[in-house]
Amino acid sequence: MRLQVGARTDTGRVRELNEDVYLLRPEQGLFLVCDGMGGCPSGEVASELAARTIFEHMNALPGTAVTAPGDDYLPQSRRLRRAVERSNQYIYERARAEPRHAGMGSTVVSAWINGQLVSVAHVGDSRAYLWHRSHLERLTRDHSLHEAGIRRNVLVRALGREATVDVELREVAVQPGDYVLLCSDGLTNTVPEAAVSSAISRLRDPQRICDYLIDAANQNGGPDNITVVVVEVVGGMWRSMWSHWTRRLSGGDIASAHSAS
Amino acid sequence: MGSVVTIGRLPDNTVIIDNPAVSGHHACASLDGEHFVLEDLESTNGTFVNDRRVTRHTLQNDDVVRVGNHTLVFDAEHGRKVDVQEAAERIVSNPGDTVFLDADKHQALLAMLKDAAADDGAAAGEPGPNLVGVLRVLKGRADQPEYRLQAHTSFIGKADTSLVRLKGWFKPDVAVVITRGDQGYTATHMRSGALVNGERLTGRRDLKEGDVLRVGGLTLEFGFTR
Repeated sequence: MRLQVGARTDTGRVRELNEDVYLLRPEQGLFLVCDGMGGCPSGEVASELAARTIFEHMNALPGTAVTAPGDDYLPQSRRLRRAVERSNQYIYERARAEPRHAGMGSTVVSAWINGQLVSVAHVGDSRAYLWHRSHLERLTRDHSLHEAGIRRNVLVRALGREATVDVELREVAVQPGDYVLLCSDGLTNTVPEAAVSSAISRLRDPQRICDYLIDAANQNGGPDNITVVVVEVVGGMWRSMWSHWTRRLSGGDIASAHSAS
Repeated sequence: MGSVVTIGRLPDNTVIIDNPAVSGHHACASLDGEHFVLEDLESTNGTFVNDRRVTRHTLQNDDVVRVGNHTLVFDAEHGRKVDVQEAAERIVSNPGDTVFLDADKHQALLAMLKDAAADDGAAAGEPGPNLVGVLRVLKGRADQPEYRLQAHTSFIGKADTSLVRLKGWFKPDVAVVITRGDQGYTATHMRSGALVNGERLTGRRDLKEGDVLRVGGLTLEFGFTR
């Protein structure tokens, strides 16, 4: 399964710093978005640490360490969860050891794509979506009071704030033509899900989708940092040629058809 | 429930108001039998209920509580958890900024939010978290009469890791993947033909009670069990 990836992060129109971070490892199928906690010192340190340590722990963890049965998730999901848990521990200890970083924290949403199986691990209010045949499904629940119907950005879980963290996992199976989207709340607070879904249907190219969505968030005020990562699950050569031509014939993606020809 | 909700400026409170007019530990509300009792924790600027300064007050429906410049309305009609939501909504400052509510120390609030979420789920008629999907074998040779979809990802195919093992030559390693989400179960087509209620499964499809899945010579009925 080939993956085509687009990504962009933007400070937005109000903030002075960008505390969002994304990490792309397409050859490994690993993607993540971290949103450092605003209003806290060292938010950008926390998100950068989170992204880096999750990636490092993913590669450092021996495969055998996470194959023990015990819960109902796939071994790769448990490995991703373990990496996020260790990252939490690392940030927490750093924050305790260095007073200038006290209280720093970060969200994380990570997707690890193994063939057609996707493991999503998240903490906080950064989100993952699956786009399948013009239908957008949210894969994550925000760990915030917002989820309980309260219109405030109050996180109830974050990386680095406590010695242990409860990482939420989700597993889905994808098909060629599907898209996985990861984003920070700077997108979801400004751009409705219907607009995200139609942008994917219309634009198709992962980088163009990211650019379009970040522009849309900024046009709606851009009150927060915005990060979008879009991963397209590409089928074989014949399938992608087929979808390219059918799209072109239906007139859905004229600009991209021009640039490709 | 024995839960306590604390209000104040410092981060170890259940409800944090980041405002200089609010004391570090300003007030707390605790459940005393049937009622919530609000207590002022010797705050500098006082806790007010319906514009009267109080030290200890049994909350009545529609009481307006003021702490610093923030007000919240106690709503007994909607039960305690709604009151906490209201409290948090009205009281947490820093609009726009993401702030953190310490999960371990605020179990009272979290428990109530979970109750609220569980109630919402039940009201919407969603399968509760205790229900597990099951595939019952209607026709075909299988090694079990039914398969519990306990895992978050279950495979139907020839591979050893499959929950439902397909036997025979030319059967795919993985024909169908069934994943489990908050809203229920979804079948995703992988290889070769599978039918759901007689229709060809080509993409993803959410499974409903009574759906009949035909794959690799087996006929399976999807349902829920405890």
